[in-house]
Amino acid sequence: MGRPSSSPSGRIVAVSPDDGALVDLRSPAVAAALSWLVPGLGQLYQGRRLKGALFMAALVPTFLAGMWIGGGRVVYASWKPGEKRWPFVCQAGIGAAAIPALVQAWRLNGPAKEPLLKSQFLAPPLARGQVVSPGYAARLVEVDPDLDQEDFRPLPPWRQFRPYPGPGALDRRPADQVSIWQTRLGRFFEIGTLYTMIAGMLNLLVAYDAWSGPMRASADEDKA
Amino acid sequence: MDASLLLLLAALGDRVPGIVFGLPLILVAALVFAATHHEDPAAIRRATLEWVGWLAGILGGVLVVVWLIGRLV
Repeated sequence: MGRPSSSPSGRIVAVSPDDGALVDLRSPAVAAALSWLVPGLGQLYQGRRLKGALFMAALVPTFLAGMWIGGGRVVYASWKPGEKRWPFVCQAGIGAAAIPALVQAWRLNGPAKEPLLKSQFLAPPLARGQVVSPGYAARLVEVDPDLDQEDFRPLPPWRQFRPYPGPGALDRRPADQVSIWQTRLGRFFEIGTLYTMIAGMLNLLVAYDAWSGPMRASADEDKA
Repeated sequence: MDASLLLLLAALGDRVPGIVFGLPLILVAALVFAATHHEDPAAIRRATLEWVGWLAGILGGVLVVVWLIGRLV
């Protein structure tokens, strides 16, 4: 792997494995953070314009395509029992695009009990018995064709999503919102999840490239 | 593009679930792998083709094995 080193002028550089040219890494930590936030931004900061544009053109559309294929429902953060969203660990590699999902999860599970602007964008799905603000419940009934007033029970000052049925009662409706999404989207839920996961994981390589330069060893290092 | 190649691709797309969605991912992964290992544009181009070959070969091999097992069982 390429190892960054200090040049005689004090700059942190890596050696290109192709022609032995020095690649100025500027501040590797800043570049890696920028590349994590927006794919390719760290390389642009380092003056490696072609690679920066290449990474941006490859990963941003892949992530957006995943969101589109998955109906905008596949990127969310959830750590509830029974609904641990492990794919988000990979999706978070995309950086800035995944941060709103953390905000939405924190808002929905926090004292507000509703996501930012009552928007479903990147908000985690509701679990059975979860309490939400009356405003968010009304908004969901308004915009989501799969939900209606009967899906929310008044539980002042909140509303409760599909509470557990009483003893002996049988509720045949899906137990949580993610089941509704999976029923509606079918395999596209998984394909969208895969696209966003792969975009996130590949972006970690991009951030590493900004940190240490090209990963392939130069010809001299290969001989050694 | 050759008509027979188009027909082959259409048949693959019809018979192999997910291949239409898988091919762009292989291309993106190959591009990122190549670009994180090289700095020169020509070397990146060459390495992208190599990585496409490797990834498609490995995944294609897995597909063939799964298909053969499906025929046998």
